[in-house]
Order: sequence, then structure tokens, then C-alpha cells
Amino acid sequence: MTNTATGIIRALNSGIKHIATKRFTLRYPEEKLKFVGDGYQFDPSTGVGIAGLKGRHMLFHDHCTGCQLCSIACEGVAEAIAMVKVPDQQKQNKKSIMPQIDYGKCVFCGLCVDACPFYALYMTNDYELSSFTKEGLIYTPAQLQVKPYVAQDSEIIITKWGATHG
Amino acid sequence: MTNEFLPPGLALQKADERIMTLNVGPQHPGSGHMRIIVQIDGDYIVACDPDPGYVHRGEEKMAEYRNYITNIPHLERPVIHDSCNVLYPYVLGVEDLLGIEVPERAKYVRVICSELNRCIYTMYWLAIYGIFLGHSTMFMWPAGDRELLIDLMEKISGARVTHAHFVPGGVRNDLPPNFEEVCLRQVNYFEKRIREYAAVFYDNPILISRTQDTGVLSREDAIRLGVTGSVLRASGVDYDLRKKEPYDVYEELDVHSNVMKEGDSYARSKIPWLDMLESCNIIKQALEKMPKSGSVRVKLKPNPKGKGLNSVYKRVESGRGSLGCHIVSDGKVEPYRLKLSVGSFRNLIALPYLLKGEKLGNMPSVYWSLNYWPVEADR
Repeated sequence: MTNTATGIIRALNSGIKHIATKRFTLRYPEEKLKFVGDGYQFDPSTGVGIAGLKGRHMLFHDHCTGCQLCSIACEGVAEAIAMVKVPDQQKQNKKSIMPQIDYGKCVFCGLCVDACPFYALYMTNDYELSSFTKEGLIYTPAQLQVKPYVAQDSEIIITKWGATHG
Repeated sequence: MTNEFLPPGLALQKADERIMTLNVGPQHPGSGHMRIIVQIDGDYIVACDPDPGYVHRGEEKMAEYRNYITNIPHLERPVIHDSCNVLYPYVLGVEDLLGIEVPERAKYVRVICSELNRCIYTMYWLAIYGIFLGHSTMFMWPAGDRELLIDLMEKISGARVTHAHFVPGGVRNDLPPNFEEVCLRQVNYFEKRIREYAAVFYDNPILISRTQDTGVLSREDAIRLGVTGSVLRASGVDYDLRKKEPYDVYEELDVHSNVMKEGDSYARSKIPWLDMLESCNIIKQALEKMPKSGSVRVKLKPNPKGKGLNSVYKRVESGRGSLGCHIVSDGKVEPYRLKLSVGSFRNLIALPYLLKGEKLGNMPSVYWSLNYWPVEADR
């Protein structure tokens, strides 16, 4: 009986201690987490990726040669990448085709970034991709060219009084 | 229509004024659909028939149509919280087939990712165990503290779940700058937090009264039924693949496996918690022994092929026990056959034996203590 009573008192005591500790919750739309680097990138010369968040892609039109390797890498994974004609003529892109990504299908594995040998594709920190229509999730090469603005400031701070997002 | 052509649970049964058949589910308790058909006599369970198969995705057949690299993103779907460990045997097997030697630093990074993932999975499992027992603090605390480790995995691989981080030949990318410092700080705090769980959950008389002496699995039965992982260790069998068949760099690390003799739901719920403390210890050791710089990935040819007709079987200790992967290659870019042998399914086999004679109210605590993940069991 005494054992039961002390057990319950210990459990309650441990809970009461948490009144004084700081709140760990991230208040999402106001606060956003800080991520490592600019996004996930791949360096084909060393064959190793560079750490970063796997969010929406970013496409450099002046590097893309229309080789379709990203589209081939996506076959059997998500089939999200389609090669489409682009109006602007690039010197290195004779066929004038560039990837168009359907974020309704993309699983954000980043194998397309690993496949690109010309440093044309990388993934950014932008993860807010919701849309009211299915068509809104399909990003054309022109949309992928835009570098997103992502405000990130919150980090996990560990103090004597517990962990908090600040 | 005779009984043999009907699915289980729908079959007509002889009317019995005492025995009632109850369909618990199909429902989705935060993990995947499952159903348990129980026959009760008053409040006591007479017979029980677990019915997996609601989330069968055909992972093994799908793997036969994809090459060795594009198999990676879909093979980690069975357990998204433990995706590194699910991928581990596959990656080890493909490396064996292709004859690749992995750099030393990549092996340590893999061990760190694998242990972080084990903790992430176990915290999620513990949170759901709290829901099953009606203990809302036990849901809130692990679900919140899990965030510390998810943040670390996000820093390493760029994804919160389904990291697709392991590849044949190493890992996808190197650790971010000054990761060791951040990792050590957050893992130390995580360890301090989960030590607090003892007072609130494991020494709490309310949780003990719900779980102690329910669903007792004896040592002999555990070996006979072939259960693995925490369920096996809770029954007094010291069997941990990280110690018995060390893969990658586990033989250089000091791994201690936790064993309890009781074999009841309480022991089965406590062993994963002790394993998490052990995982924190392994992460700290690995951070210390890891080479500070060096390559983390061997360059592969674009479409790697196995050499001739060949097969390989590799297994690792996942969050749910031994997880094996059998790959048969016939010299093409796709595997000829891929078979996953998972711990969840083996642990589920014990359920009918454990529930016989228990009260119906004890069913959730026995069921979820088996460390069973429906999606992984169905593949």
C-alpha cells in the first residue's frame, strides 16, 4: 500500500515539476524551424551530397542541358518529372527541354538531384507547397527557376529549464 | 456456401449461448489497419485470431521491377519511422552482391542514423502504447521528445521521415558542419528526459497494475514460437543481433543487450525503453570513435548489376527485432527476387497464445506490447 502511494506521489511530483519548465511546442505558422544550409545539393565530382532540407526543387536554366537523366532517375520512384519544351533558347540546351515536376507525385527522395551531372538541379528549404487545385502542384521550368524566400529562425535551445524552440 | 470459402470472421459458427465472437477492428491505431477476432466467454478471451493483411502493398513484387537504386525509396515505406533500419539489410545485401567495400566513416554514420531511427520508432511506439492504455501523458511526452531526434535526422538527411539516406556504397551525404556537437547536446538531453519516464510510467502503480502478469510468455514458448527482438529479450533470452552477428562497426562498439525474465507485458514495454538508453550510449561511442573526415560514399556505375546467379541473406536488429532481407540476383539490373523477413510478423504469432484466458480489457496492453507494426507485417 505504501509502495503504491509513493509511486503515485512520485509520478505526480514529476508532473508538477513540469509546470516550471519551458514549453517545447513550435508555434508553426509564426515560427519556422531553421534548417542546415541552402537545401540538399549534390556534387557530381566527388559523388557525395551536401546536407540540407529536401524541399521543392530549384532549376538553373543556364546549366540544364535537357539530358533527361533526372526524369530517368524518377522512373520507378514517383514518375513525377516530365520533360517539357521551353520557349527560351539556351546555348547548351539544343532540344530546349527541361524538367517539369508534379509535386502531387514527388516523394522528395532527391534521387533526381543525385542524377544531375551539370549542377542544374538542387532542392531548397521551401516545403509549403499546398494548392487548391491539382494543376497548382505542377511546377513548370519557369516556376522552378525562382528561388524561394523561406524565413527560418527557430532552433532547439536546451537550457537547464528544459528544451524550447526559440 | 460452406465455411471454408468465407474469410475469417465471417464464417458461420455453431450457436453457442456462452461464446461470443467479437471483431476488434479493422481499425487504424496510428500505425496501419489491423483486426483481431476474439471469442469471449463473459469477460474472458477463449480464442483469438489475429487477421493481418489490410495494408499489403506488394513491396516484394514491386522490387522485382525496379533497379537496385530506385528500390530504395519504396522499400523504406513499411515502417516510415524506422526507415534507416528497414533499408539496412537491403543495402548490406546489395553491397555484398556488387562486392563493394564501404568507407569507415560511412559505417559510423550508418550506425548513428540507425540508432537514432530506433529511438524515433520506439518513442512513437511508446506514445501509441500510452493511447492503448488510456494514459494521455504517455502519449504527449514521447511524441514531443521524439522531435529532438527527428530534428537530428532532418539535419543529416533532409527529411523528417523516409530519409532515403542509405545507399549501396555508403550514405547519400556527409554530416553537416559541427553536427557532432549538436548531436551530443540533443542526445544528452534526450537521455535525461527519458530517464524521467521511469517515475511517471514504469514505476507508476497504475501502469504496473495494467501490464504486470498479463500475457506471460515463458522462455520456452518464446523460443518455440520464434519471436524476436524486445519480446524475446523480455522473456529472458539474451539475443541481440548487434551483439551476436555484428554488422558494420557494431563489433568495435560496446553494445549491452537488456534482458528481463518476467515475460509479461510490463517487461515487454520496459525493454524498448532500456534499449533507447543503450542506443544513446552507442551514439555517443560512435561519435567519439568516428573518423573526423574521409569519404562517405563509393561511386557506383549508373545501373549496377549483380554478378551472375547469386543470392545473399543479411539481417539486422531493427526496432522490432531481427529484420532479414534475401536478395536473389540473376545478373540483371533488377533483383530476381527480394524477400523481407520481418520481426513484426513473427511477434504477432505469439498473440493467440498470450491472450488465451486473459480479460478482454487486457487485450490492448498485450497486443501493442508485442512491438508489432501492421504495415511491416503485411509488407
